[in-house]
Amino acid sequence: MLTLKNLPVKNLNSYPGRTIAMLIFAGLMSAAVFGGMLIIRGLRQGLESVQSRLGADILVTPEDADNDFDAQTFLIQAEPGYFYMDASKLDQIRAVEGVETASPQMFLASATSSCCSAKLQIIAFDPDTDFTIQPWIRETFHGAQKLGKMDVIVGANVTVYDDHILRLYNNDCRVIGQFAPTGYSLDNAVYTDFETIKVLITSSFDTKLNKYQPFNTEDVISSVLVRVKNGYDAGDVANKIKNSVSGLNTTATKSMVSKIADSLSSISTSVHVFTIVILFVGALMTILIFLMMINERTREFASLRAMGASRNILSYIVIGEAVFINLLGGLIGIIASAVVIIGFSGVIREKLGIGFTPPSPRHIIIPAFFGIVVALLAAVAACLAAVKRVNRLDVSLVLKEGE
Amino acid sequence: MSLNAKSVQKDFPRAGKNSNVFTAVHPIDFNLQPGKIIEITGRSGSGKSTLLNMLSGILKPTSGQVLLDGTDLYTLDDNELSRLRNKNIGLIPQGHTALLGLSILENVMLPAILYSSSPAPRDRAMELLTQVRLEEMANEKPNELSGGELRRMAVARALLMSSQYILADEPTAGLDEENILSVMNLLRKTADNGSAVLLVTHEQEAARFADEILTMDGGRFI
Repeated sequence: MLTLKNLPVKNLNSYPGRTIAMLIFAGLMSAAVFGGMLIIRGLRQGLESVQSRLGADILVTPEDADNDFDAQTFLIQAEPGYFYMDASKLDQIRAVEGVETASPQMFLASATSSCCSAKLQIIAFDPDTDFTIQPWIRETFHGAQKLGKMDVIVGANVTVYDDHILRLYNNDCRVIGQFAPTGYSLDNAVYTDFETIKVLITSSFDTKLNKYQPFNTEDVISSVLVRVKNGYDAGDVANKIKNSVSGLNTTATKSMVSKIADSLSSISTSVHVFTIVILFVGALMTILIFLMMINERTREFASLRAMGASRNILSYIVIGEAVFINLLGGLIGIIASAVVIIGFSGVIREKLGIGFTPPSPRHIIIPAFFGIVVALLAAVAACLAAVKRVNRLDVSLVLKEGE
Repeated sequence: MSLNAKSVQKDFPRAGKNSNVFTAVHPIDFNLQPGKIIEITGRSGSGKSTLLNMLSGILKPTSGQVLLDGTDLYTLDDNELSRLRNKNIGLIPQGHTALLGLSILENVMLPAILYSSSPAPRDRAMELLTQVRLEEMANEKPNELSGGELRRMAVARALLMSSQYILADEPTAGLDEENILSVMNLLRKTADNGSAVLLVTHEQEAARFADEILTMDGGRFI
């Protein structure tokens, strides 16, 4: 049915080439704004998430673990690894001035053989002293999940195929939950308590897949997470630990994330520059193509005037065309961008080299709003010039010229 | 019911540095009467189309008045003038005036949807298309029609609103004899039904349908 409301859409149908070109540019603009905001938000979210998950001020590891632990790359591309030190180091660390809390962790890596479901990093914490993983568990499961014997919680990237059972060194571990993604190597790990990991370490000796000679699991730990007292500098306390307890390496966790923060900052700048360039080119092309389309149709507009259309009606048609096409293009751009970013978040993480977590649907609304606003602003800019042109038409002259 | 021109004159600026103005229409009085076809003939550039455009409300005279039922068209604002023209004046401009995105039927219905949210008068449009022998082309797009067919479509469109005044600028240009007759018969019928028809044409055949024939030369009636 023909109505004034659907006239703009019918008009656009008669210029498919230019309509598609305008759709593409509107889509590019909204995709750039939406995608740029989504990527930056995802990277920030990843960084905030890993900062809160680390939870400690200092990470203490054995000095001879250098081959298995690199503090600078640990969060991004850590290969499953394990190392041990004497458990007595824990008390020595606790005695250092400025240490408020110290909690041990034990590591193990599962193997790529029939004894294990997959090669995974296993991290065990001490439920009595832990202040990093248990808050994460409480936050994720609202305090409802308790680890029992041979229970594990897996990171977001760990796939469990067999009915919530993860096979580790011939032990069937019950998977009682899975963490939300952080975008970092923490997503590839399996979390459990000391009792369970001691069983797993013993089993790893039995299967002869542990790189170390059998030892008493009661006497070792892998790392110690330290929280410093108020008023103490983490770097100073880390140095004190290193100087007063032999055979240890200390890493201030702030320095572990500072490199990531630097990368995020430079990626943000690149994304902003890219977005501005796309916006400039997109807006320019939208205006030019729309003006060309209007110029080509001066006779149509003059004919409408001849049959009694007011300038307001002509403006309505022009604005309707611009808004419809930019709104549609904007929506297409946002959907395409969301599909690419969410669908290929793993590739994005890999290419950018820092953690990226796709924002939740709730967090997509604001970037989508801005994506649409940008497309509509381009429509307004195109309209301003086009409406002026249409309203200045000398109807009698145009109708005569076309003859 | 009347459409009158009172001492209307139209000047156009000449191109060039030392230009003055070119007077296309010298002060003219003119009265369009209901039930009649008035034909204006004359050479190209004699001022026929300029006069018609001034009468239709799309070309403001340099001086003088165009009065529709006593209202000076050019004292109205754009919205008032446009509504008045849409309701009262059916204009057939020169050349092709189709909107390419619409079908022929939709092009004919177009004047009816500009100020009304009621469904477009499809039956009336089809009836007019039948009268100009385009009923089989109703659903085609304009780029599939010949120039002559598009002229006939413009005639049908100008008659859609059953306006009091029909102003036709060369409505039969490019038509074959058979179609000239069908268009002229339609305009005659429209006049007989009470509309006032102004016909600007070079077409000899039109003379036998007109009630009055005026000739213009140099912007004046002779």
